[in-house]
Amino acid sequence: MNSYINSKLSRREFLKITAVGSAGLAMSQFLSGCAPKKSEKVKMNVLVPAAPDPAPPGVAKFAEDAFATWQAEHNVEVVYEAPPWPQLHDKMATSFASGKYTYDVMYNCGWVPEFADYLYDFVDKLPADLISDLPTSSFSTVTWKGKKLGVVFTLSLLTLFYNKEHLESIGVKEPPKTWDELKGVAKELTGGGRYGWVLNYGAPEGIGGVASYWMVYLQQVGGKVYDENGNPAFNNEAGVDALQFMMDLMPYTDPGSISYVGINDATNVFASGQASMMMNWPFMYTAASDPSTSKVVGKFGTAILPAGSAGSASIDGTDAYTIAKLSPNQDLATKLIEFYLDKDIQKRQVLDTGWLPIRMSVLNDPEVQEKAPNAAVVLEQAKYPYDSFVTPDYNAVTTAIGVEIQKALSGAQTAAETIQNAFDQVTEIIKKRQ
Amino acid sequence: MSNEFNLKRKQMGIWFTLPTVIILILVLIYPIFASIVLSFQKVRFLGQGLSKEFIGIANYISIFSNHTFQSAFIRSIYFTAIEVVAILSLSLLAALLLNHPIGRHSFFRVVLIIPWALSPVANAVLWKWIYNANYGILNFILYSLGIIHEYVVWLGKPWLALNMILLADIWKGIPFITLLLLAGLQNIPNYLYRAAKLDGANTWQQFVHVTFVGLKTPLVISAVLQSIWALKVFDLIYVLTKGSPADSTVLLNYLAWRETFSNLDIGYGAAIANILFCMMFLLALAYIRILRPRQTRRGE
Repeated sequence: MNSYINSKLSRREFLKITAVGSAGLAMSQFLSGCAPKKSEKVKMNVLVPAAPDPAPPGVAKFAEDAFATWQAEHNVEVVYEAPPWPQLHDKMATSFASGKYTYDVMYNCGWVPEFADYLYDFVDKLPADLISDLPTSSFSTVTWKGKKLGVVFTLSLLTLFYNKEHLESIGVKEPPKTWDELKGVAKELTGGGRYGWVLNYGAPEGIGGVASYWMVYLQQVGGKVYDENGNPAFNNEAGVDALQFMMDLMPYTDPGSISYVGINDATNVFASGQASMMMNWPFMYTAASDPSTSKVVGKFGTAILPAGSAGSASIDGTDAYTIAKLSPNQDLATKLIEFYLDKDIQKRQVLDTGWLPIRMSVLNDPEVQEKAPNAAVVLEQAKYPYDSFVTPDYNAVTTAIGVEIQKALSGAQTAAETIQNAFDQVTEIIKKRQ
Repeated sequence: MSNEFNLKRKQMGIWFTLPTVIILILVLIYPIFASIVLSFQKVRFLGQGLSKEFIGIANYISIFSNHTFQSAFIRSIYFTAIEVVAILSLSLLAALLLNHPIGRHSFFRVVLIIPWALSPVANAVLWKWIYNANYGILNFILYSLGIIHEYVVWLGKPWLALNMILLADIWKGIPFITLLLLAGLQNIPNYLYRAAKLDGANTWQQFVHVTFVGLKTPLVISAVLQSIWALKVFDLIYVLTKGSPADSTVLLNYLAWRETFSNLDIGYGAAIANILFCMMFLLALAYIRILRPRQTRRGE
């Protein structure tokens, strides 16, 4: 056979055939390249907290089918990174510092002003009916220099939680409505290994740190952290009164409060029935209603926070979704956030996880109000101020204020000294920023 | 011929060590160098990566006049000194017990290794529950024994909180140093003890003049290593107190993290980290010096 080929095929002919074959192959490759391709799945990277913190479908157990359908319809694969909540800020900072694309969508919590230069201004691209269904005030913590850089997805305000049985045991039928009532009830409830009040004062910084709790009381006496020019404005009677009230509550507060670094530490004390009252986020309702972890199932109630001289007030948890400026998939990321805020998804969010929706229509849904009775209370609380005073140096500011407050709560300095020291430090921090 | 062979041998040696040198430059030298450079800069988060501005030694000047840094520095020195003394004393005791015929059973060594084998965060979470003011086992035991008459908030008072973290770190540090000293004990030849006995030495004298002298090098190495580890402590503070109450448990490493990642003052945080690095580098030099084989004089 070989000899036959050798005799019939010259070297020149062989080279010709090879050249023609190669050209044919190259042409077919070129043509196939020109033909319309079947589109490849887009991969989107999303950074959110792990459940039980407020997490989207696919991380928390709700609306999983709808989420799978959305991904299929949009030919998208959403890849979640869901670390424990305390790691989120560090991860985001590292990602932005690298100057490279890492995430498309990111959960944000009071850090929008801090990372404003890295975030995509997308809110105006969301449907008008969706925007009109969100409380206008929910945009205050995600707006920086006039740009709306995120959308809050859960109405998360601090409200009062109280043990109805404990209150009834001292003949009190209604939750306290004023500071004086709160102090009086807390005093009466303290004793026999039980405390009138519990909270986590262990961590100074951030939303849910001791400084943020002082901001609640500050607003209840009509105070503000900053004036309209962004300068510190709390070294006054309101600032001192707010702190003095926290100090006055200390004899009736679980002494462990000063060592509790997270809200769950304080929640556990309330859920075990060892403390009668606390302020907490809406998630508490579900946590305290779980018989496997709570001894106060069916025995607790929730109400708006007791009023100071200027009325009730709270702070906003500011749980929001944002999009990175460097994301190559900004339109899809906007659509994903739109999906997270879809009415059905928001409804499943509250019914299955306990995290309240942000859409007013869902908050007012009778089924939601029945399954999450605290929704009405949080809506009522939202009628009062709930500014969290977030700025680009929010962590540094709250650390400075929080450390000073801890000294006051430990009895090391007076309220006036504390506010003066905190004011001086915050002034320095603001100066450094400018 | 011999020279040419040696030259080729050296060249080959360079080629073989080159990958390691490159890796060391990338993962060790470059980060150290970058951290030093950062400490002379004002770094801001202004979009598109970081904005950096050279400010000379301003960060260092600011650090040394900062009360929080000064307090953290003093606390770190206190923490390190107490931890080294406590761990060395307790580890020596444990090593002596394990070296005793009764203590030589492998069970004791397995039990000993548990705290060391725990991951740092798991260890911190464990101590968080032990110290819990309401449900902690420490309060329960001390109350049951009548040692305390009401539950104590172990992490609620500045001085107490710092020492409770110290206690937790000592517990974790003991096993490794014990094993190090145990190895040292087993290297002391038995004939030295027999000779000491023949000379009429009692148990204490044997310990001072034979055991302690024989353990001199392992003890110094342990002191240096433990000093480095104590200066680096972070996990326990992060999980147990976050520096609270009132910054009383903020040590240098935690402060460097807080300034860098929480407050995003990267240049300032890098300056703190570099001061800590210098302290550890000096200790590492001491460690290398101790381990270096002693040169013997000609004729010895």
